[in-house]
Amino acid sequence: MASLVFIEFDKNIINGYTKQSATLASLNSNLVIGVSDYKDEVYLNTLGEYGFDKVYMVNDFSNEDKIFNIIRDENIQTIFSSNSNNIKEISSKISINFNFPILNNVINLESINKPKTSIFSGKAEAEIQIDTDKCIFILNKNLIESKEFNKSTKVVNLVTSVNENNYLVLEKVDNKEDVSLLNAEIVVSAGRGLKGPENWEMIENLAKKLNAATACSKPVSDAGWRPHHEHVGQTGIKISPQIYFAIGISGAIQHLAGVNSSKNIIVINSDPEAPFFKSADYGIVGDAFEIVPELLKALDN
Amino acid sequence: MKILVCISCVPDTTSKISFINESEFDKNNVQYIIGPYEDYALARAVELKEKDSSIDISLLNIGLSENDHLLRKGLAIGADRAFRINANPVDSKFVSANIANFVENNDFDLILMGKESIDYNSGLVHFLTGSILNIKTFNSVTYLDLENNENAIIKRETETGIEKLKAKLPLILGCQEPIAEWKIPNMRGIMSARTKELLVVEPIVQSSGFHYKKFNLPLKKTSIKMFSLENINDLLKELKLK
Repeated sequence: MASLVFIEFDKNIINGYTKQSATLASLNSNLVIGVSDYKDEVYLNTLGEYGFDKVYMVNDFSNEDKIFNIIRDENIQTIFSSNSNNIKEISSKISINFNFPILNNVINLESINKPKTSIFSGKAEAEIQIDTDKCIFILNKNLIESKEFNKSTKVVNLVTSVNENNYLVLEKVDNKEDVSLLNAEIVVSAGRGLKGPENWEMIENLAKKLNAATACSKPVSDAGWRPHHEHVGQTGIKISPQIYFAIGISGAIQHLAGVNSSKNIIVINSDPEAPFFKSADYGIVGDAFEIVPELLKALDN
Repeated sequence: MKILVCISCVPDTTSKISFINESEFDKNNVQYIIGPYEDYALARAVELKEKDSSIDISLLNIGLSENDHLLRKGLAIGADRAFRINANPVDSKFVSANIANFVENNDFDLILMGKESIDYNSGLVHFLTGSILNIKTFNSVTYLDLENNENAIIKRETETGIEKLKAKLPLILGCQEPIAEWKIPNMRGIMSARTKELLVVEPIVQSSGFHYKKFNLPLKKTSIKMFSLENINDLLKELKLK
């Protein structure tokens, strides 16, 4: 059985999502095919250590004809992918064209035809029965630890004609943060308890020290204290890092919906009755303006 | 210019989620709302109509008659007519097959949806519908304007930043904040909604290749470990940060 993984990068090396997908693909099939839109042949040749047998280089994932050919030629039966929009788009096209079932928010794949998915924004889980031998799994982050393999990878360059888009990119603004929220293993998030945007310096310092991404609650982004793309929660970005620091966030149910699948949640709040403590693994009751500087000091020592 | 806004009807964001015999969502005591992302999409469509009264807005939901009050709310906010495909929205493939079938029978220049529904969260209906209809689809759209009824100017969030695009209609867009401010129906809207059309359409059959076996709630965090200013070092050690 062959599986396919769309390879994604974070600063020119494959990201955690892709490693996880490749591990699951290796555990569940005997041929793992990668598709990369980043054409660094020397680097792609080394991806056998993550489980790839063969990697196709394409110009971009929106060239569906080339990717459909790979699905056909390699007789792909399962696809493991991240939930980024360009991958969801091509996965949807494959699902419609080849009649693959498609599942998002997969949180458990111990049994490949009985996956579990997260529903109601993490408030519930569903157990699913797949009725065919094909499937596209869009995985949550940190579902399993990625493993190392000892394969050699064959790289194939598919020369693709430039896709004629019916759209034009007018402007591209990159987020300023060093660590992207979706790739971060540690996230430092703060809420209204910080009292104003001028107090975010210590949050940024803490994030920097931990190689973490910064995030915020909805009231904070609504007030314009922080950019909208930092908002995590029910109507913002949903994250599942290894460690989530919630500083001065009370823990409304809508906020929890975006972060409740984080592995370790640490809540720092001056109100011992803050509902967030009920959903946390670790807690400190105290003033953020005392605790955060102390954390910074402790990390320095 | 004809705009279709597809809405989900979902439990209110503060709802307690529970299931009957692990097999069926318990609708008792649950208040339903228009999905928050679709609420943004509808609000933006109405704002565009306020600028250009020739814009015509249709509202579409796949659901049972219990959703009619939310479609009336959408009409009160400013849609011109509403359609309900009379079926339980079992999964994203079923929903997108039905939306695509509806669009094939009724031409639209622009199809607005939410980024994802907040019940099953698949975030796939726009892309799947676009794949069936071969209409370019963008998700995580935070800004939308129209240009000469031919192009849309949009901004979308990507994994690394924000992209501003000019794209030829027709398009399917998955919307999110801050594309518009949520609208609350006013008295005039509520009165006029009473006389607007709400049409019921029969669904088509579509199998998705999987079915839900059972539902349960995630395990609750059982115990929290508390730390204080004095033993902050121990917390960092516990988290392997030191």
